[in-house]
Order: sequence, then C-alpha cells, then structure tokens
Amino acid sequence: MKVKILQWHSVASWTWDAQDETCGICRMAFDGCCPDCKFPGDDCPLIWGSCNHAFHLHCILKWVNSQTSTPLCPMCRREWQFKG
Amino acid sequence: MQLVDDADGALDSWARFCDLSDELFGGAGDLSAGPRLAPVVADLCARGLAELLRDQFIRSLEGIFRSNAVKKFWQQFHPYCNSSAVERIKFCVQENWPEDILSKALEDICLEKNYQEKCVLALVHSLQSYEDRSPHRKSKALDCSSSLMPRYQLMVSSVLLTTLPLSFPEILNVYFKKKLEELNIMMAGLDGSDPFDNHDLLERNSTSAWHSEMDIDGQEPGISESRNLVKNIGKVVRDLRYLGFTSMTEDSYSSAIIWLLKSKVHELAGDDYRIPVLGCVKKWIQAVPLKFLHALLTYLGDSLDNESGSSGLKSPLASRPSSFPGIGVPSEALVRWHMRLEYFAYETLQDLRIGKLFEIIVDYPESSPAIEDLKQCLEYTGQHSKLVDSFISSLRYRLLTAGASTNDILHQYVSTIKALRTIDPTGVFLEAVGEPIRDYLRGRKDTIKCIVTMLTDGSGGNANGTGNAGDNLLEELNRDAENQENVDYDDHTNIDEKQAWLNAESWEPDPVEADPLKGSRNRRKIDILGLIVSIIGSKDQLVNEYRVMLAEKLLNKSDFDIDSDIRTLELLKIHFGESSMQKCEIMLNDLIDSKRTNSNIKTSLSKTSQTGTVQEETELSHEVLDATIISSNFWPPIQTEDLTVPASVDQLLSDYAKRFHQIKTPRKLLWKKNLGTVKLELQFEDRSMQFTVAPVHAAIIMQFQEKPSWTSKTLATAIGVPVDSLNRKISFWTSKGVLTESVGPDADDPTFTVVDSTSDFNKNSTVNQLSERFQITEEEGESSIASVEEQLRKEMTVYEMFCIAEPSYDKSLQQLQSFLSGLVRKAGDEGWIILAKEELKNGGPILRHSPHCVQ
Repeated sequence: MKVKILQWHSVASWTWDAQDETCGICRMAFDGCCPDCKFPGDDCPLIWGSCNHAFHLHCILKWVNSQTSTPLCPMCRREWQFKG
Repeated sequence: MQLVDDADGALDSWARFCDLSDELFGGAGDLSAGPRLAPVVADLCARGLAELLRDQFIRSLEGIFRSNAVKKFWQQFHPYCNSSAVERIKFCVQENWPEDILSKALEDICLEKNYQEKCVLALVHSLQSYEDRSPHRKSKALDCSSSLMPRYQLMVSSVLLTTLPLSFPEILNVYFKKKLEELNIMMAGLDGSDPFDNHDLLERNSTSAWHSEMDIDGQEPGISESRNLVKNIGKVVRDLRYLGFTSMTEDSYSSAIIWLLKSKVHELAGDDYRIPVLGCVKKWIQAVPLKFLHALLTYLGDSLDNESGSSGLKSPLASRPSSFPGIGVPSEALVRWHMRLEYFAYETLQDLRIGKLFEIIVDYPESSPAIEDLKQCLEYTGQHSKLVDSFISSLRYRLLTAGASTNDILHQYVSTIKALRTIDPTGVFLEAVGEPIRDYLRGRKDTIKCIVTMLTDGSGGNANGTGNAGDNLLEELNRDAENQENVDYDDHTNIDEKQAWLNAESWEPDPVEADPLKGSRNRRKIDILGLIVSIIGSKDQLVNEYRVMLAEKLLNKSDFDIDSDIRTLELLKIHFGESSMQKCEIMLNDLIDSKRTNSNIKTSLSKTSQTGTVQEETELSHEVLDATIISSNFWPPIQTEDLTVPASVDQLLSDYAKRFHQIKTPRKLLWKKNLGTVKLELQFEDRSMQFTVAPVHAAIIMQFQEKPSWTSKTLATAIGVPVDSLNRKISFWTSKGVLTESVGPDADDPTFTVVDSTSDFNKNSTVNQLSERFQITEEEGESSIASVEEQLRKEMTVYEMFCIAEPSYDKSLQQLQSFLSGLVRKAGDEGWIILAKEELKNGGPILRHSPHCVQ
C-alpha cells in the first residue's frame, strides 16, 4: 500500500518569540496587540532595544516621544536605542 | 222568598249556561249555540257571577282540551319518547320522521285550539254585549271579557307544558336540524351552480322573493324549493308559538342553527391551515342561516314589530348599520342574529384554531392563513387569555419535554414569535407564552450551541432539514441589519411635528392583560434575535459560543474560503456591537493573512526547490502543504496533542516554518501538528481510495507504508500518541476496511494489518468501488477546540474550593446520593433524570439530561 498525500493543511500559531510574555508598557501580551491596535501581528509589531528589552512598537514610540530628555528604556533605565 | 226566587233563577241560568257551553264545545264546528249564550250570560252577570262563569267556562274547555287534543297530540310522539336511546337514533335516520308527525300533530291540535278559541270568542261577545247594555258595571265585566282570551291561552300552554314529554324538545331539535341541513344542501347546490354570482342572485330575488310568498319566477327552482322549505318550517314554528311553545321553539331552532354553524365551521376549517376560512364562514352565515332567519321572521311577521317596537331601546350591538346582501334594510332582530351568529362563528373557529395552535405554529409560514383567521377572531372575541392558557399547556405537554430536541424547541419558539407577532403586534401575549419556553430553554445545556448554530448555519442548524427556511435566524439577522439602517435614517431626520402628532394620536393603551411591570409597548419591540439572545441572559455567552464554533469551523477548513463567515460576522457585529466581536474578527483576519502568507511562502519555497534537486528525493512537494496561521491569543483555548508526523511531512513543516521566520522575522511558527485536515489517496495493488482525514489518521496510515502490520503499542510510540487515543483513532481505518485488527498474544496489544488486496477487502467490507472519497463525519472527528462547557468546567474549579473547605463534607456517598435523587425527584417534571452514576473527578453522580427521544 502506498499513501499519496494530496494536501496537508496544517495549523500553526505565530509568536514574537520575545523572552517575556507581556509588554512592559501596556502590560498586554506581546502576541496580542497594544491597546491602540485592533489586529495583532503585522499591524502591531514588536521592537527590541539595544538592551534587548522588547515592547510593542506603538508603546515604545509613545514613550520615546513623550520624553523631553534622552529617552531611557522603561525597564532597565539605560538609554533607549532601537536594535539595528 | 225573593231570595229563594233569585237563587232558583240563578241556578236555572247556570244550568242553561252549562248546557249551552257543552253544546258549544261539542258542536263540532257548529257555533250556533253562541248567540243563544248571550241572554244567559247577561243574566248571570247581572247576578254578579261573571267571574265564576268565566272560570267555569275555562275549566270545562281545559278538560275537553286535555282529554281530546293534548292526549292525541302527545300520542303521536309516544313511539319516540318511549324508546331507548339507540332506537331513537333509528327514528332520527328516517327521512321524514319528525317532519310528518310534527306537522300533522300540530295541525290537529291547532285546529282544535282554533275551534275552542271561537268558543271563547262567543263567550267574549256575550260578555261584551252585556257590558254594552249596562255601562255602570262596565269595569268589572270588561275585566272578565278582556282577560278571557289571555287566560285561555295561558291555560293551553300550561296544559301542554305540564304534560310535555321530556324528549319533546329533542324532537324539535332534530326537526330543525334536519330542515336546516336540507336548506344548507340546497344552498350549497345553488352556490355550486353559481358560486360567484351568489350575491347578485340574492339581491335580485331579495325583497320580492323573500318578503312576499308569491311570484315564483320558475327559473330558479332551487330558490323556490328553499322558499317552500322555509315556509313549511315557518308554519311549524307558527303553530308551535300558537300553542305557547315560543321560547322552546326559539331555543330549538337557534340551537339547531348554532349546531349547523358549528359543524360548518368545523367542516370548513378542518385540519388544513393553508387556506383562510373566515371569509367562507361569513359568507355562509349570510347565505344560509341568515336567509333562513330572515324568511322565518318575515313569515312570522316579527321583523316589522320588532323594528317599530324597540326603536327607543336600540341595542348597542346594532348601532352600526349593516346591510345584508339580498335582504335590504335588516330588522333589528336579524341584526342581532347576525351579530350572534358571527360571534359564535368567530368563537368556534377561534376555539378550533387555538386547540390546534401548536400544529399550526409547527408549520408556520405555510399556516399563516390560519393565523390570520385566528387574529381576526380574537379581535372580535377578545379571548386572548384563552389562547395563552391553552397554548402554554400544549407547549408544556408537547414541546417542553425531555423528548424534544433543543433545536426543535428553538425552531418552534421562533415560529411562535413570528405567528404571535401577527396576532398581537404589542407582544403582550407573546410574553406570556414565551416565558415557559424561555425558562425551559435556560435549563438546557445545549441551548446556546443550538442558537449559535441557528445564527450561523444557513440550514437553520437542523441537520435533518426539518426546520424550514423561515426559521433561519441568519435571515433574521439580515432583516435586523436592514431595519437598523432604516431606523438610523429615521432617527437622524427629526420627525416633524405633524408626524409626532400623528404618532401621538395613534397611541393605544396596552391590552388589559399586559403586565404593568414589564414596561409599555413602546419599549417592547418584538425582535426575534433579542428574544432569543435574552434566553441566554447575556450576549457575552452567545458570542463566546460563537467564537468556539467559528474556531472549530475555521480550523477544519482546507481552503481559505471564508466569505460567508465574514458576512455572518458583519451581521453579528451590527447586532452585538463591534467590540464584542473583536476576537472573532481577528480570527477571520488570521485566515485572510494566512492565505496571503501561505501563497508567499509557497512561491518562495518552490523557487528555492527549483534551484536544488533536493525535491526529487523527498517525495513530497511543497505544494502539498498549506497552513492556517493563527494569533493564538485571540482564539479559544486549543487542545494540542503531541503527534509525530512522518519525517517527510515533518521536513515540509520545518521548511515552511523556516521560511515564515525569514519572511516575518522575528516571528516564529509553532506547529499544532494534530490540527488541520489531510487529503490523501491510498493506493493498493488494484484500487485506490481518497480520504479526507485528521493529521493523526494520516500519520497512522502512513506508518503502514513501511511495515504492513503494527501492534498498537509500537505504533503509538512511533506516532507519539497515547495508546488509548491511538486505539480510538485507528478504528477509523478499520471501519473503512483499510486495516484489520487481530488480537495477538497480548490481549491489550492488538495487531493491525493492512488489507491490501481486493479479495481480502471484500471480506471485510461491501464497499469495493475503485476510487472513493470519504469524509470524516462530525461524530468521528473529535473537537480540537475546548468547548465552552469545558472552559466552564475549568472556571468551576473555583467552586471546588467550597467543597474542599472546612468543615469538610462528612456525609456518606449514599446520603449525598439520596439527597441528590431527592433533588432529581423535585426536578423530575422538568425532565431531569439520573442516567449514569459515573463518578466525577470529585466523586458524585452525574446529573444528566436525558437524551432526546422521538418527539
């Protein structure tokens, strides 16, 4: 007997593969989305700082923009720089 | 001396009076004794014996009447009255039975009475002539003369009534029934020959034919026939009234009419709900009983009397001037009869329909004529509460039982809402009727599920197709959406004052039966979805259930075709609000994204595979693999089971995941290998079969390529699932005749072998077509989504704390059981029984709802 696969429709879930579960700013799941977004994933990406802390892009941008002086990472208080 | 003379004279006169009256009575039509009576009477009156004379006269008349006429009269009916109930039926069946006897007997007795009346008149004349001559004593004697006739009448009727056999009214009844039926058949014949011209016909013949009994045109034999019939009846009625049976006669013919009307309504209404009958009934009332009554009343000369007599005291019922075809201006008696008959018809039809309301609602959209009839009847009779009571009891008896499936109950509820909405737009009665259904549905576990299926499934969630299209809640959603748009439009444009005034004017108070606690009708908009959703209590539960169902549906899709789901979701969003459907939207969005990503990955994979020659070795092309990529945070909890897929597939999966990581970096894919669907073809030596199965089934069968037989334990390790789960899954293949199970040395560890050739295959299965498609049916496929119930159970672990807490539950299991069965007895009439005493994890008998039996 031979089995010929015609179609294999599988199911997978995606994850950002951040070390943490939730965004340190909005406390929402990384695999979810920030409070301002409707759809997770491409619409609400994560961003890592050079300190290796991850946030929702929208969250950290809001934070960075609200800082008058040099923005610091909300987690480790080092200077915030987007990881290249 | 004077006195003795007087007495002698009086005695003498008295004796002569007695002789004369005897002569008169026995005279057999000879009234010559009448004039001779006058001087004797005058003499007696002059002696002040007028009253005595009168009494004597009446008494002797009574004796004669009683012995001659009455006895003979009743003798005619003896055969019937003396027979048993069974024999009476035989009488009734005889064609001319009460008719001949009755008219004959009546004729005789009326003749007798007529003669006696003449005798009475003779005396009256004598008395009067005496009075004329002696004006000073006028008052006394006049009293005698004028009261004589009424006294005689009274005597006749009291004699007859006191000797009345018990079954005489029955005979009258039979007589009228038979006659009316005859008339009915005649009229039906007329209708048949000229059904649409009926009214014209009546009009043409109206006054001329019915009022005067002459001019028979001869061209309408039916008409003249029926006129004769009515004339005969009229004669009987007149005779009966003449004898003082007025009220009994009226009773008889009205009960006969009512009886006929009732049977007519029953005949017309029957069990067919697809045609309106009210119109026919009304027409029939005009055509038969009213015409009959009109003719009868005219014949008896009543109508004119009544009309002129009671003008000052007009019945409120007759206040609206109604005209009848063919009768002209109706007399009040006739109007009353019309009202009465119509009311009775309405009531009869209403009772009939209410009694069958359950069936009517079962086939609602088809039975709407019956509902419309019922509505009109109820408007007239106002007996809505009867409907409510009767319908609720039939609901309890027939629908709200353990045997009815939740689906059926819901469908019936929807139909009920629709039907009652027609009858009563205010929804007051619907509220009353709906409450028991709602209460009952709240007790059912699968209510939410059924509702959601009805909401989403085009077929109305009824697998057997018994639910009709009218029950489809999805349609209701659609309509709701349209309405919503309209309402929005209305709200934005300010209603001008005129409109507002009109609205205010058209306000009507709630019906009396309305429950004042439930708000006025303005707030009570009948919205089927709203009603259904409110059974559950909150929309959240419904949305949650919908999400689980949607997830299940989406995960089992092998294409990315979700147009209908998007549509449904849009409709649900309108109804339940956007925010509550957010997660569902993300789920659908995942599918859309997956489709895009999937094709991206596949094109890029095929590009790379073209460059290398690796593809030749791995027998599987990347084309074969599709993936649904989900944002798991927004999906209901998904049960992941370990599954080791064959290496070739695993390779595909990891290639795919790698490519995903490249495209969507830094995102990663986590496979849920047990989910999804696999289409595969089994190629045997002499045949091939196609299947659509779950991955685990595919993994199982693929293992048999390497080795034709496996023991279940080794196979379980090979594909990385527990043995018991494997045994469950593998039964799919054995049931399809692809594998056979044989018990080896170890009973717990059976061996499965591929059935490779057709001859072997035939032994196991009757199916031997070369290529067949099999689909895992729903019962076979296990749900991969944790059902709402399971989720609930997890939440319920909180409550376990109460059971575990101090002081711990120290009663024995028996005590607990008896307590629980006590509860069960209490709930028994709601259909709950203990079916299985399986032990739950925490050790109690499971209370289960009994399974659905045949309704």
